[in-house]
Amino acid sequence: MTQTAQALINLASSQLNNVILGKSNQVRLALTALLAGGHLLLEDLPGMGKTTLAHGLSNVFGLEYKRVQFTSDLLPADVIGATVFDAKTSEFNFRAGPIFSDIFLADELNRATPRAQSALLEAMEERQVSIDGESHMLPDPFFVIATQNPQSQSGTFPLPESQLDRFLLRVSLGYPDQGSERALLRGKHGRKSLDAMQQCITKEQLLTIQARVPKINMTDALLDYVQRLVAQTREQDLVLLGLSPRGSLALVRSAQSWALIQGRDHVLPEDVQAVFVAVAGHRIVGRRETQGDQLARQILNMVDVVGGVRV
Amino acid sequence: MLGKGYQLSQQVTYRGMIWLLAAQLVVMLPFAFYLPIWLIPVMLASTFWRIRVIKGESGQPKLVVRLFVIALGIAGVMFSGMTLLSLDTMVSLLLLGFAFKSLEVIRQRDALVVVFIGFFLVAISFLFSQSIPAGAYGIFALIILTGALIANQQSPAQQLSQNSTRSSLKMASAMLIQCVPLMILVFIFMPRFSPLWSIPSFESHAKTGITDTMAPGDIANLSKSDELAFRASFTGRKPAADEMYWRGLVLNHFDGKSWQQLPEEYDTDELKDQLQAIIPWKRNSVEVKGEPFRYEVIYEKTGQPWLFTLTPTTKVDGQTIQFGDYRVMSRGDIQSPLMVNAVSYPDSKRDLELTEYARQSSLQLPSNGDEKTRAFARALRADSSNDADYVNKVLRRFAEKAYFYTLRPPLLGDEDTIDKFLFESQKGFCSHYSGSFVYLMRAVGIPARIVVGYLGGEWNKNGDYLAVRQYDAHAWAEVWLEGEGWRRVDPTAWVAPSRVEGGLEAAVDYEGSFLEGNLFSTHHFKWLDGIREKMDALQYGWRRWILGYDNESQKNLLKSILDKMSSVPLAALVGALFLGIFLLWFAMLGLLGRKTYEAYEHQLYRKFCKRMEKHGILREPQQTPYEFALIASEKLPNKANVIRDFSTLYQQLCYVPGGTAEREAPHQKMRKLLRELG
Repeated sequence: MTQTAQALINLASSQLNNVILGKSNQVRLALTALLAGGHLLLEDLPGMGKTTLAHGLSNVFGLEYKRVQFTSDLLPADVIGATVFDAKTSEFNFRAGPIFSDIFLADELNRATPRAQSALLEAMEERQVSIDGESHMLPDPFFVIATQNPQSQSGTFPLPESQLDRFLLRVSLGYPDQGSERALLRGKHGRKSLDAMQQCITKEQLLTIQARVPKINMTDALLDYVQRLVAQTREQDLVLLGLSPRGSLALVRSAQSWALIQGRDHVLPEDVQAVFVAVAGHRIVGRRETQGDQLARQILNMVDVVGGVRV
Repeated sequence: MLGKGYQLSQQVTYRGMIWLLAAQLVVMLPFAFYLPIWLIPVMLASTFWRIRVIKGESGQPKLVVRLFVIALGIAGVMFSGMTLLSLDTMVSLLLLGFAFKSLEVIRQRDALVVVFIGFFLVAISFLFSQSIPAGAYGIFALIILTGALIANQQSPAQQLSQNSTRSSLKMASAMLIQCVPLMILVFIFMPRFSPLWSIPSFESHAKTGITDTMAPGDIANLSKSDELAFRASFTGRKPAADEMYWRGLVLNHFDGKSWQQLPEEYDTDELKDQLQAIIPWKRNSVEVKGEPFRYEVIYEKTGQPWLFTLTPTTKVDGQTIQFGDYRVMSRGDIQSPLMVNAVSYPDSKRDLELTEYARQSSLQLPSNGDEKTRAFARALRADSSNDADYVNKVLRRFAEKAYFYTLRPPLLGDEDTIDKFLFESQKGFCSHYSGSFVYLMRAVGIPARIVVGYLGGEWNKNGDYLAVRQYDAHAWAEVWLEGEGWRRVDPTAWVAPSRVEGGLEAAVDYEGSFLEGNLFSTHHFKWLDGIREKMDALQYGWRRWILGYDNESQKNLLKSILDKMSSVPLAALVGALFLGIFLLWFAMLGLLGRKTYEAYEHQLYRKFCKRMEKHGILREPQQTPYEFALIASEKLPNKANVIRDFSTLYQQLCYVPGGTAEREAPHQKMRKLLRELG
């Protein structure tokens, strides 16, 4: 099974790499979030391929995909749906919103008002939607990819820390390198090749792989390292807001997922390091005006990988 | 303990201030017993004021207010009746400053100043009292002060934790306990330097004990006190009850009412100079006979220079002076317990030849007065065969006629006191009997003088020492006889033999006047005797071994240690001592602790990193073993295999579950690979 799972994942990531050129690390992080059953926040400027990546992910897994462009006049009902009066049957019927899909892309999440944002974030945490006292379960898998513009841009409502915490990983795509951009400009790749993608993992296979993530082994020495990292994020003179227990849980889960993608049945410090910035970057707040990502990188460089107590 | 980013410029927190105020009160309290009483309300008021300021109920005092309060305080000290530039005045001023300092403590730097002055004041309080309770209180004050020091250096977060008070106290105690070994070492081995300047005298300390004049009634006052005068312990022979005449001073001059040492007025320094001039100590005036008493005396603080020894003392050490009338004096007034070693030969003959001055001064009488006594003396002398017979006749008269020993004698007026006592009242105690006896001697030309001191004492079974108390004060007489020298005569013993055998309590048992003005004296309660004796033994040990530990004792101790040991064990001891100190130091630095703390494979890996460092390959903390192995093997291609094997092994051991199953074998292999690495 491991072999097959490995082959499937490799296939998926190579297909995605065809769509998003030169961003194999970010693609792998996106897969990590998906396999770990967490949500993904893509933060970047417009036009960097956020939507393409989201679309690509849904294509590869053969999942149902819906997209909502968040704007400042978006209402919660536009996202989660509403109860509508049917004149023929004289009944109120629930009409499901776009959120009832396997992959939901919330484009430019921080352009919506907090009210609309919170409707989505509630659904992310509870995996169900309550309308007029009735609970509606969301499908499984349920995966939210939100994109967000850097907050310095005008007309945005920054997400509060408590809501940022709900995203397992935050990834920035960044500008492509010259080679990738040249290939893009030649028009052989990119958005057009989305249609050429084949589904290579079924929904059932995805669920099996997701179930395997928590079983990836972690030794005491590794957890020692994780705890040293987490403790460093709580060091008062450096950080204002450190990693919460939910944050450290996210770190461990992401590292397991990353290890699985690497084809291992145990987690190495390398795995933790690979996901640490994506996990901690949006969760910690620096004492000075340092960006969370920079701070996370700093912490990573400060903490010794080696060492620990025998339990 | 210091949080990161800790700065001295930080403000004192509420909790730190409360600690500080508590420490201040604790430090200042013992001074209340010795210094002007109005200092207490001042201390309390400034504390109260400060607390109000903390709570925001009143503002920080302005500069003008502070200056006014300081001026008021200084004026108060000036008008308290203390001499300028005495120790008391200076300590009072320091205390005032200390109390007021709390009003302007704002920054942590100020708090440190307060704590350090507090340490100084704790040391100063020992100038006033050196008793066991004072020592215990000093330790308590040190703990609180250290606690205040800790509380003022904690970060606000630490201060807010729930058990912060207890943890501060605990830490302070732990820190002080850590100091104890060093303290003992310093106490035992640090050389005692004589002070660079002498401590100014304490005027607040009333002079106690025997005074240098004797009028009828003086010694009766002393007999109302059960305070300790001194303790003596003997090596070898111990004196019998009738040998324990502790000589203090000699009174020669009689003015018709009272006896004193010299005809003219003097202060103690003049007295010493004059006595040195007129009756210097001459070793050869004593014809040594019999077995000596060798003893060690610890005198209590009296503020006077008199020392009490058995007669005649031939050898005495320490800061003492001996004189020709066989007395011993301290060079300075006794302001703290003083220990003296002495040797006395009680069977010796003294002054077979009398100097002219001594003869004159021991024959002095007022030109007139007490005519009846003079006539009586002349008649009795005419009736006697020689001087010795006359002495016996006088003493027998005391024994046979109706003379009573009482602590409640009738008043004798100002004139002809000897006449009134001898022929009318016939009731009195030692000073009456010794005074009238000496008068009777001098009236017929026999040299005689009064000796004042203590008689007897109480043997303690636990400590094996003699405790002499104020109520043991006594006066007796000495007569000089041709061919015999000075002979000790105690007329009181002929009136009340029980005074010698059983002490004062036995002598006045019939009238119940023992310590009658002192209702709460523990001596009234027989059932307390056991406890009293034990407490006394404890006090003695404290005096003997702690306060009495001076240069001399130090020399003796070192000598006894060095004598017993040959050089090899001594060197071993010193070596072990230093080793112990260093080990303690390492343990405190956590160097020993950290190594055992980490799992063995990590220790081995750190060794591996050290080896790599020698090859110039430094591992960054964030580099994983795999990453580092890649870098290292690239730089050391000939060792690449070993490096890779070692790293892989370590990585498996640490991160691969099941790789941990066999722990010993991989460790051995790791060690082997390390050796291969060289």
